[in-house]
Amino acid sequence: MTQLEYKDAEALAKKYNIKCIESAYVKSYEEAIKFAGKERIVIKAIPQKPIHKSKSGLVAVGLDSNSIFAAYKSIIASAEKYKPYKVLAQKMVSGGMEIIVGGKIDEQFGRMVLIGLGGIYVEAFKDFSLRVCPISKKDAREMVLELKSSSIIAKDDKALNLVSEILLKVSKMYVKSDLKELDLNPIILHDGTYDAVDLRMIR
Amino acid sequence: MTRVGTHNLHKIISPKSIAIIGASDNPDKVGHVIIKNNIDSGYGGKIYPININSSGTIMGYKSYKSILEVKKQIDLAVIAIPAEFVPDALEQCGRAKVGGVVIISGGFAEIGRIDLQEKVVEISEKYNLPVIGPNCLGVTDTRSRVDTLFLPTFKIDRPSIGGVSFAAQSGAVGSSVLDLIDSEGFGLARFFSYGNAAVVDEVDILDFLAKDKETKVAVFYIEGVKRGRELIKIARRCTKKKPIVIIKGGITEQGSKAASSHTASLAGSSEAYRAVFKQFGFIEAKDLKDLLNLSKIFTTQPLCTGKRVAIITNGGGAGVLVTDAIYNNGLELAELTERSNSELKKVMPKIVNVRMPLDMAGDADYSRFSSALDIVSKDENVDAIIAIALFQTPGADSKVASTLIDYGTKIKKPLIVLSIGGSYTKAHKSMIENGGVPVYDSPADAVSSLAALIRYSRYVNEENY
Repeated sequence: MTQLEYKDAEALAKKYNIKCIESAYVKSYEEAIKFAGKERIVIKAIPQKPIHKSKSGLVAVGLDSNSIFAAYKSIIASAEKYKPYKVLAQKMVSGGMEIIVGGKIDEQFGRMVLIGLGGIYVEAFKDFSLRVCPISKKDAREMVLELKSSSIIAKDDKALNLVSEILLKVSKMYVKSDLKELDLNPIILHDGTYDAVDLRMIR
Repeated sequence: MTRVGTHNLHKIISPKSIAIIGASDNPDKVGHVIIKNNIDSGYGGKIYPININSSGTIMGYKSYKSILEVKKQIDLAVIAIPAEFVPDALEQCGRAKVGGVVIISGGFAEIGRIDLQEKVVEISEKYNLPVIGPNCLGVTDTRSRVDTLFLPTFKIDRPSIGGVSFAAQSGAVGSSVLDLIDSEGFGLARFFSYGNAAVVDEVDILDFLAKDKETKVAVFYIEGVKRGRELIKIARRCTKKKPIVIIKGGITEQGSKAASSHTASLAGSSEAYRAVFKQFGFIEAKDLKDLLNLSKIFTTQPLCTGKRVAIITNGGGAGVLVTDAIYNNGLELAELTERSNSELKKVMPKIVNVRMPLDMAGDADYSRFSSALDIVSKDENVDAIIAIALFQTPGADSKVASTLIDYGTKIKKPLIVLSIGGSYTKAHKSMIENGGVPVYDSPADAVSSLAALIRYSRYVNEENY
């Protein structure tokens, strides 16, 4: 079981038209400032070994060109003991609704796809639904409507279609790839569109 | 392990001749009980007792030392001898070209004798022989009257002929449900207890019951499936054709703690089963009572995609409780047409307020039930009817029961009955149920069963567009 590097996971997702937040590996704070432009960004140090990034001081959010320098230095210092690592800069999405979309192989039924209320709520509310891959359009819609939080996630038919589309794409990617497990957590729904913000894909 | 493929179970469940290996004159032996049960149940085919020590007759039948000595077509061989002798007996069944085998004997994989069980599988494959068991109760069938259950007939009620077939991995659950089916008043078609499922498993049985024309509703108690993807394949083909009610015992959470992703930690094995049931059109029962509740509505009532429910009642409070349950289950109360309302006003006494739920008052007799059912069942705004008949009231008697049977079997919309009460009520409940209309004793059970019928009808409808 090996986890794909962030940009490799992103490339795979993009191949299946799954929208991911704009990101780049950066090697210095200057590169991070250049990447940010006039927008706010997130910086994460990603060690090769999986660890809890935010608890270990490897993540800084909401950075603008003034705060990038200090945050970058601090992350580098914390990341020193987790070498080797890469530093990823990502554009920030403000507001929006977080969902998780994932996949796992069930020992009886094979590949299954999951959707749930995302971010910090995943474990607390355990509000999710599950289907065997490949899923149909009808399955995708039912998965969303089955959630207790469906009226928040899919406020209207347009939102329902958007989220169903994500599920169909993820199911397709999962069936056609050699991935064993995946978490797109969170995917942020915002402004009538969405962005996958964290990608965890295990081969 | 290579599999024999889809097994034809017809000869096992509907045999023209049976051989009992392990037959005995000793009433304590399982082989004896099985022969006695077949005699008692009225099995009409040939019976061949087999016992290696046979002296020529057992229980009045000509007996044989080996199945190979019979030299006639044997559809079903039942093996009830100690486990270590089973492989040899099975080998002989293969050579005798029997149609199928039920191995009652225990002492295989369930106690760690995987080697013995593997021998069974090997021999079954060699002769392309369908084998049920080992370690099971076997089969019973209300038409052929074959009965391999080694349970004394005075201890368990044997259901009458009907359209529900039931398959259970567990013998204990199987026999207790069998016992209950009789008291619920809907009949049985086939029954399978398949134990260790060494050869024939739930997928084979599902496939068989799906095609079986005697089976209107198939009901499964499973503890786990070995061939998940095959189950899905068969389910895709058959859940649209007939209702498959299922209950899964044993909630396992193994592996979820060590999971490396959120998805894996959330989606344990029981969640996966539940998702599969939903996705592929199985009707999941919450518990054994629910299993029976669902069986009786699916076997007697027509499909219905609408969710507007009319309530007629001879007790106000019960009507309110059913109304609550209707909305809790995502259904709604029907709004009758103007025409129905004015017709009802004509036939109901002045004390009856004509609205939904229709409270016909405590003195409602069969003629009031009859006129209400007549008007409500013809109303285009009504998809299904719940009739509440409280038999404690002065007007309710056996004529009310027969009115409910009359409408419940005649109209094209689902009609179910709610009756709460003691012995007088129970007598009428079984009368109504034997007449082909399901009766429930709680508003929640009645409505959730109706909701399951509507959900399934919608699944069938959408899938067949």
